[in-house]
Amino acid sequence: MEIPYTVKSRPDTGLYNGKLGIWLFLASEVMLFGALFSSYVLLRVGAADGTWSMGLMDVVVGAGNTMVLIASSMFVVLAWAQLKQGNLSGRWGSLRSWGYIQWKWATVACAVLFLIVKWSYEWPSKFVHYDVWFKNPTVLHEKIEEGYGHDGELNKAELWSEEKSKKFSLARLYIEKEIYVERFFKTYSEEDGGSHKAFSKAWDNGSLALSGHINGYEEAQINVQVTGWKSGSGVSETSAEKLLVELGAGDIDAAKNLRSQGGSLLEKVGYDVAKRSEYKLAKAGFSVVLSVAGYQAVEAHPYFWRTPRINEDIGGQPRVKSIKFALDASHHEVDGETHHKEIVINTDDVKRLNSYEPKHSTFFGIYYTITGLHAAHVFGGIIVMLYNLLPIGLATWHRDREQFANRIETFGLFWHFVDLVWIFLFPILYIL
Amino acid sequence: MSETSAATETVGIAEGHHDEHHGSHEHSFWRTYIFSTDHKIIGMQYGFVGLAFLFFGFGLIAMMRWSMAYEGAPIPFVGPILESLLGSGVAPGGVMSAQLYNVFGAMHGTIMVFMGIVPAAFAAFGNYVVPLQIGAVDMAFPRVNMASFWSFFIGCVVMSVSFFIPGGAAQAGWTSYSPLATIIPTDGQTYWLIGMILLITSSLLGAVNFLVTIINLRAPGMTWLRMPFFVWAQFITAFLLLLAFPPLEAAGILQLMDRVLETSFFLPTGLVVNGADVDVSGGGSPLLWQHLFWFLAHPEVYVLVLPAMGIVAEVIANNTRKPIWGYKYLVGSVIVLGFLAFIVWAHHMYMTGMGTVISAFFQTTTLIISIPSVIILTCLFISLWGGSIRFNTPMLFALAFLPMFGIGGLTGLPLGFNFSDVALHDSYYVIAHFHYVVAPGTIFAIFAGVYYWYPKMTGRMMSEFWGRVHFWSSLIFMNLIFMPMFAQGMAGMSRRMSDGGATYSLSNPDNADAGGALSDTIMGLNVSISAAAWAMLLAQLPFIVNLFWSIKYGKKVESDNPWQATTLEWDTPTPPPHGNFIKEIKVYRDPYEYSVPGAKKDFSPQAQPSK
Repeated sequence: MEIPYTVKSRPDTGLYNGKLGIWLFLASEVMLFGALFSSYVLLRVGAADGTWSMGLMDVVVGAGNTMVLIASSMFVVLAWAQLKQGNLSGRWGSLRSWGYIQWKWATVACAVLFLIVKWSYEWPSKFVHYDVWFKNPTVLHEKIEEGYGHDGELNKAELWSEEKSKKFSLARLYIEKEIYVERFFKTYSEEDGGSHKAFSKAWDNGSLALSGHINGYEEAQINVQVTGWKSGSGVSETSAEKLLVELGAGDIDAAKNLRSQGGSLLEKVGYDVAKRSEYKLAKAGFSVVLSVAGYQAVEAHPYFWRTPRINEDIGGQPRVKSIKFALDASHHEVDGETHHKEIVINTDDVKRLNSYEPKHSTFFGIYYTITGLHAAHVFGGIIVMLYNLLPIGLATWHRDREQFANRIETFGLFWHFVDLVWIFLFPILYIL
Repeated sequence: MSETSAATETVGIAEGHHDEHHGSHEHSFWRTYIFSTDHKIIGMQYGFVGLAFLFFGFGLIAMMRWSMAYEGAPIPFVGPILESLLGSGVAPGGVMSAQLYNVFGAMHGTIMVFMGIVPAAFAAFGNYVVPLQIGAVDMAFPRVNMASFWSFFIGCVVMSVSFFIPGGAAQAGWTSYSPLATIIPTDGQTYWLIGMILLITSSLLGAVNFLVTIINLRAPGMTWLRMPFFVWAQFITAFLLLLAFPPLEAAGILQLMDRVLETSFFLPTGLVVNGADVDVSGGGSPLLWQHLFWFLAHPEVYVLVLPAMGIVAEVIANNTRKPIWGYKYLVGSVIVLGFLAFIVWAHHMYMTGMGTVISAFFQTTTLIISIPSVIILTCLFISLWGGSIRFNTPMLFALAFLPMFGIGGLTGLPLGFNFSDVALHDSYYVIAHFHYVVAPGTIFAIFAGVYYWYPKMTGRMMSEFWGRVHFWSSLIFMNLIFMPMFAQGMAGMSRRMSDGGATYSLSNPDNADAGGALSDTIMGLNVSISAAAWAMLLAQLPFIVNLFWSIKYGKKVESDNPWQATTLEWDTPTPPPHGNFIKEIKVYRDPYEYSVPGAKKDFSPQAQPSK
């Protein structure tokens, strides 16, 4: 049994099966990405003023990655063209002699570079970048005053010229209240002198966010106290005492004492230790009370923090007391070097805190969804390319050259499509 | 392809089929029957899984009907089983809780549509019959075909497993509207989404395969207008799946993001659940989900119906012993239908307040799409005129399809107009309407197909007597189930209520002064409908027994073409070997050349040279 037209084209349709199949597959891909692009448009049109977090992308990096993909699309054609001329492999040293193998590896290199830029730079740099919203507008105004008002190393005119030179960064607004705000307002217009109703409203009701990095924070040190033990929990006295010793009660006598009379088990331990102990103790029939003994300053740039992470209630006090927040658009000089200005924000005042992850906003949600799906396509493409570069894939070349060339051609069609999706993605996510 | 040959290849293969691995046919049971790449085996795999899920999905609704007829009473027989399997939280003392009702309701819809009818009507018959009918040796991409089945199967496993996780399976209806579907605190909905993405992937792989097979692998002489109508129906269906499913895949990915990574694509600003603000950014659009969902789910209706129409056309042509009346109109209509199916989706959304202009547009396209549907049905009706009809079991089911589908179609018109839909929306009228389309419609066509092609698949006939028992009891009980629902719906009974509407009935003292409460007569129909549903369940037993019993003990067919049919699938050995045909196939004729004047026999097969 042999299936016809696997290699040669059927005369009346002019297509071999694989090529027809890949075109139909691409039609369904058009519908998949088309639906996501449509969702993007609908969500963006429906977004309230000041909530579409546009303009936070690094356009230069995005443009670079676009060029990398376009180059890879060209290389994949060159690889196919060399196959058609029967040139499987040339010499690496001379570009003119490059054959399929060389051009294909060049394509793989481009694809890998694209993913490295995305997954090791573009995405992670966003996960440490935060927005903070305040419960009370007055606090917002104070913090803005503190963060942007005093150093005064930039005057209004300088900010305006900086604004105009950044054609792609509509998000950056300079308002008469002398504040930079990292948000895009649809009704922004220069004629208004940069001020406008939507912004004023956001100012008044405090729905603006401050943007920046967390440079440090004060984290709770926790006391773990045992307040009692219930015998009917299926755990024997000795094993309950053993657990206490394990968790740091000292010797077995102290543990006995603790079990029967209660008392302090651990003092000034970290959150993880405290929680783990609480869990184990509760399972063994103890009643436990956690309380905050004090706060310890930590220098770190945490990833993926969300509101529940900082204001988790521990015996009536928050897990994180305050954060040291380096503002994006306010700089000052320290020892001749320009630094982002740091302000301290009490977590009591924070209504919402979120890094630039999918949860942050609808814009970032759709950004990660579409670019993630696109990256998955690139990744899949790399797997297919590697297969066709390894002996297992090249065996087809040695058996039937035309079939192998067809295979590379259909892959090329797929690869162009992946490239094309990015060419649409780049402007709608980075520029427009 | 050559490494995929099956044991059946011992039947001789004609010269000219050079096979590199000739002689290496020693494939294990697993490669032959489980991980097979042969389109016929895959078709039967789809068929068995699909029929099993149809039965299972029916079982779910049979239990729900108990809750509606006798709310609060423990379910006889299965109640204790439910309690021990799913826990006393959802089935205390064998009573169906409202939560379990929601689980079963959502999964009934999902299972029947995506794991029952699509695999049975489209994938099973499509896989088995289409390559045979166009004279192809197999599908264009046999390994993709196998991948498609296994993706489907894993999707089914994910869906089935979700019944047993804490909190149970999806509960937000088969439509999974957000925000409800997003904020339900169990993982069932997440399983549902992952299952759906697998099922969609399977459909996409299958659709590409079908299209390439039909476009590129037709035998010499099998021109477009010589293709049997069944192939045309499958062709258009494959296009619908190819282009309509991806937006639901996109929607599924977005809802998965909402559930797992806490985005808010479908969650509006200021959403409050149980009195507390939901910790999301907001700014999403619940309406977006509905648009993306119905962009698939309306074409899906045609995915369910077109293969059924194709099967019915084959059976009617064969048993009236005359060509289908208006074959070209059928083909034209099915193409137009396929196109229009993409621009009617928002008629499911009149009640969302999306605006009168949009409603008017979709109301217009909806009424236009009824034209090709009516043409198809009319052509099939007219085909009966003057035929010397053989009333065998497949023909009985095909004949019943016509008026049943007709009822389903005509009762859809008041739902297509937005002014009348306002009154009928989300009532039992809607349930009756679409069940008439897919239950006595599509499922009858599936039965017709099983009885019709069974002798080709097994070499034996199914019992005619038990076939008739199955047919007449199914026909009667189907109508006893769904006809009263029109009355219930018009009286104002809403869907998706575990008490069958008792809250809004006159017998509820709270409603003593309420106008429009449900009367005792309308409420009483719940009991009779439920009884009919359980009888319907019993009526399927003759079919199930017949299906398995006949594999070994059915009457042996005397020729490869027991129905004396014209299409190519009957030109193969019985059952067809791997590679299907033992001679070169060339097509000389139109698909339904029955009773050709002057011919010796009353049927002239497509592969028979015209002198």
